Amino acid sequence: MPRNSPGGRRLALFVLLAAAWTAGAACNWAGRAEHEQAARLAQPSRWGTPSVFTTAHRSAADAFRAFFDVRPDTMEQPVAFSHQLHLEKELVCTDCHEGVERGPVAGLPSVNTCLICHSQIATDRPIIQDITAMQEKGVDLAWRRVYGYTREAHVRFEHAPHIRAGVDCSTCHGDMRQQTVARRVVEMDMAFCVNCHTAKQASNDCLTCHY
Amino acid sequence: MAHRWGMVVDLDRCTGCEACVTACHAENNIPTVGAAEAARGRAMHWIRVERYWEGEFPEARLTFRPVLCQQCDNAPCEAVCPTYASHQTDEGLNAQVYNRCIGTRYCANACMYNVRFFNFFHPQWEKPLQLQLNPDVSLRESGVMEKCTFCVQRIRAAKLEARAEARELVDGALQPACAQACPAGALVFGDLNDPESRVARLSESPRGTRLLEEYGAEPKITYLQRQGWHEPDIQ
Repeated sequence: MPRNSPGGRRLALFVLLAAAWTAGAACNWAGRAEHEQAARLAQPSRWGTPSVFTTAHRSAADAFRAFFDVRPDTMEQPVAFSHQLHLEKELVCTDCHEGVERGPVAGLPSVNTCLICHSQIATDRPIIQDITAMQEKGVDLAWRRVYGYTREAHVRFEHAPHIRAGVDCSTCHGDMRQQTVARRVVEMDMAFCVNCHTAKQASNDCLTCHY
Repeated sequence: MAHRWGMVVDLDRCTGCEACVTACHAENNIPTVGAAEAARGRAMHWIRVERYWEGEFPEARLTFRPVLCQQCDNAPCEAVCPTYASHQTDEGLNAQVYNRCIGTRYCANACMYNVRFFNFFHPQWEKPLQLQLNPDVSLRESGVMEKCTFCVQRIRAAKLEARAEARELVDGALQPACAQACPAGALVFGDLNDPESRVARLSESPRGTRLLEEYGAEPKITYLQRQGWHEPDIQ
């Protein structure tokens, strides 16, 4: 089974989970300290707002999921957007992900971006009518991230320098022509990044990405 | 030629206003720990302003010294780190890699400037203060060491911008948050390898000294000592 396949990852993950569970039971004193901290966090803040923002995980299960990077390959999106359909119409990635050549984030399109074309095209479709209604109400699309890193990864990624270096979008995001709603098809672990950096003679210093 | 980042602190200019401390906290997502934990020595300030009283009242004089990571060339914190979380980069930065840090705290014990800080807790911000966090800087979790990075996120951003525009970095355009915030211009940041840069010229000043230089850590921050008050000769 190839190393990066989801199945292989899951199998390795279960083994690790079992080992971690045993270790966790052995040191439940740490859990008690966590419990005390959770009690402290539950108190209302100075302004009566319900809680504080913290890097602590909400639960042990949450911490396990973050540590082993367990998350769905796809998310339910506000609109069943089809990448396949749009790319067949000879749109390019940068038409909607506008920031990708300029800055750190590629950006997820707002309803205004959709309506640049769809104020004229396919206006009879229910999805488009929904989007038009959203713009009139001043509501935006709450896209959910498919890729991205956990907080503990401490990764700071910038799109623009990668595009300038001639890295194709599909290197990291797969062939979007095969996808409707975006799926996480490429497993972006550190080996994936480092291999490419080595091949392209880009810096592999820790501070290139982790700060 | 590779950059070699350094700083000059002009002690004659420092007024002890602590704008640098505030700017550093805002830029680098440094949490506050509350009065009780601060009293136990767990407060985190990547830059601090030390106060010194000189002389006896009424001739007493209060002087200040901002102290941040000295980015030593021969750093004691690097030698003791078992995981190479603390290491020297090609540009002379004393890097702290949070991913590698396992929280032994050897580095904080080895550092004679007391500028390394351990996250004894998960950092917390009372809502809605989390909205002012800087997205360019990691949030450090409980159990890792952290310290001044010379605002490496700004160095990265400036270098990427310069490369995109196919030009060299301009001296003075790139500043860490503390130097940018200093109203008196006491903190000067720049490339020590560039002989034309302001920081390289100032670091060769006869007033220049380095903190605890005798221990051989070779710090890259030069402190320009105070000069006596000279009455101008008026004819």
